Amino acid sequence: MRFKHIIGLLCAASISVMLAGHAFAQEKTVKIGAVYPLSGNAASAGVHAKAAIEVAMDIINNPHPEFGNFPLAKNAGLAGLGGAKVEVVFADNQGSPATGQNQALRLITEEKVVALTGSYQSGITLTASAIAEKYGIPFVNGESVAANLTERGFKWFFRVTPVAADFAKIYYEFLKDMKAAGVKTDSVALVHDNTEYGTSVSSVITSVFKDNGQSIALDIAYAVNATDVQSQILQLKEKKPDVVIMIAYASDAILYAKTMQALDYKPPMIIADDSGYSDPSFIKSVGKISQGVLNRSSWSVGPPGSPTALIAEMYKKKSGDEMDDTAGRQMQAFFVLCGAIDRAGSTDPAKIQAALKATDLKPDQLMMGYKGIKFDEKGQNVLASGLVIQLQDGENYVAVWPKANAEKTPVLPYKGW
Amino acid sequence: MRRLLWLSVVLALVVAYPLLFSTPFQQRLGALVLLYAIAASAWNIVGGYAGQVSVGHVVFFGCGAYAAMGAYAHFALSPLVGIPVGIVISVAISAIIGVPTLRLSGHYFSMATIAVAELVRLIVTNTGYLGAAVGLSGPTVPRNVFDLSFISALPYYYLFLAVLALTLGITWWIANSRMGFYLRAIRDSERAARSLGAPASRTKLYAFMLSAGLTSVAGALYAMMFGFVDPESGLGILISVKMLIMAALGGAGLLFGPLVGAAILVPLEEISNNLLGGKGAGLTFVLYGAIIVLIARFQPGGILMLVKRMIAKRRSKLPSAEARGAAHAP
Repeated sequence: MRFKHIIGLLCAASISVMLAGHAFAQEKTVKIGAVYPLSGNAASAGVHAKAAIEVAMDIINNPHPEFGNFPLAKNAGLAGLGGAKVEVVFADNQGSPATGQNQALRLITEEKVVALTGSYQSGITLTASAIAEKYGIPFVNGESVAANLTERGFKWFFRVTPVAADFAKIYYEFLKDMKAAGVKTDSVALVHDNTEYGTSVSSVITSVFKDNGQSIALDIAYAVNATDVQSQILQLKEKKPDVVIMIAYASDAILYAKTMQALDYKPPMIIADDSGYSDPSFIKSVGKISQGVLNRSSWSVGPPGSPTALIAEMYKKKSGDEMDDTAGRQMQAFFVLCGAIDRAGSTDPAKIQAALKATDLKPDQLMMGYKGIKFDEKGQNVLASGLVIQLQDGENYVAVWPKANAEKTPVLPYKGW
Repeated sequence: MRRLLWLSVVLALVVAYPLLFSTPFQQRLGALVLLYAIAASAWNIVGGYAGQVSVGHVVFFGCGAYAAMGAYAHFALSPLVGIPVGIVISVAISAIIGVPTLRLSGHYFSMATIAVAELVRLIVTNTGYLGAAVGLSGPTVPRNVFDLSFISALPYYYLFLAVLALTLGITWWIANSRMGFYLRAIRDSERAARSLGAPASRTKLYAFMLSAGLTSVAGALYAMMFGFVDPESGLGILISVKMLIMAALGGAGLLFGPLVGAAILVPLEEISNNLLGGKGAGLTFVLYGAIIVLIARFQPGGILMLVKRMIAKRRSKLPSAEARGAAHAP
């Protein structure tokens, strides 16, 4: 009997806590849902995304005059809605497309969010945005690069990030410039893992290069989380390509760097496709033997006192890690979404959708190095772009291309160790 | 008589559930319970009744899911067309892998099925036609009703309920046929069953094939509801484990065991994720795992077994002759 009483009391207590929570929510807030992998294989990415969004919330909800003209920073809350605060409801997709969709549905129908952002893995962004489309809720994505996401005829899906085709064009243009400067770039080798990321990016690079008359001399696929890559390195060593493009996650990228040193193989140029080569653990463990590796990024810290430098500082304080390209792209998408809600002056999804469609941001209004933000009819940001950066000293990446954004000139050939 | 009454009450509740709990999330939760109950019930035929613990059932789940999405992605047909295709392919695969692996017993059979499942996942990951690592997606904006792409979970709920009823009907029919007796005899002691003339190999194979076909239907329904399948969500080993755990939790080898297991685990997983997932501490699976450990420790026969034993105990206390007879029944 006593046990039953305790259970009864606990139930009553939990119900009252829930009711109290609802009462507080009556304050003027704008609720946005964020679905990220907070557990599972990609938990690290999800936790960093959460930190990035919390930093963005701080910037939006509290007055930050030090940001100058950076949108939404100056005053507290969203001016367009009378200073309403932004509240984000986070949900865990557990790395599963089904869970991601369930959580998106819950956020829309139970939490009554006015818009959604997320969900890191392309497959989960696909299923979660499908439910948002059915309910007519805007979904703004900042980081998923699978090409098919914007090919579905959706009206409520907006993607801020550059996609694989944009990166491929960056690599191609960069190589063309280098060729004009006298660097040999005729034979290109691709090394990629067999995940969704590795296969899709490598196939896009291959087709973009082919369209421009540049063939891929060697295409090496390997199983992700490799334990030995000697045969792959030996293949490269035998073919002697002028340029090696690496598409790999962090643990594999580290193994490649170590194996290259062990087998004494230095290609004239290595271009890495973000991910593993941008990971703090890569730079910490093998940065010193990977000097001169080129990489792409849309994030650059910028001069001290600039909004980007302030954001980098706030993010480091929140998460304990340096700001990276992925977290930056997620944060940028969140700013775009909040900016649209601010301009809509309403939490009506249709008005937010209209404001998103009318988005026209200039580079000085962004934290990422895009040429701007403007969505085409498919919802893709047509002004998304990136920089080529280089790990010259083995510790920090510096921007080296295009010339307009370059901090230093590219140093070639690849130095290694 | 009493049993029939209880059954009809439960049935009425199941039919009325989406009307009683009518928010979209609750309806979807109900549909998910039924979906996993279909998969776990299909597994139960070979894993529960025949005692052959397959951890490779995700292969058949994936066959159904890929067939349904493939019908749409490659031929612009309704995913429904994929259901019979998925059944045919998975029954064929089950026959091919069943003949050699069903000769193995105990853990060796389980290990062989894991190996097959991983093999299939790797092959699909590297097959461009099946979307490789990117996966295949279904019709997100429905062209007509046959695309089975609805906003509400209500149509899914009743569709899944019908399929579950069919699955349970087939299971019941098998369990009470000659084959069912063979299967239980094989589970208790295959050698004894063989010595009494039960065609063990053939019976196990038939059960495996039937189970495979029904699992593929569950896979196809899953893909239609979520509109997407990739190697991890369609062929990941965790799906096999889920089917197994649900059946074991409810009561493997009992008709309603998998349904009870799904009705406990699916809400547990979803609701704990709703409450704890957003914190980013990964508590959901800690809780989920703890409950599984507790049940495995204290009630390995499954929850339905516990209920049955309690009913039997209560009846044995009553002096009526009928009740005493029931208590002594095996």
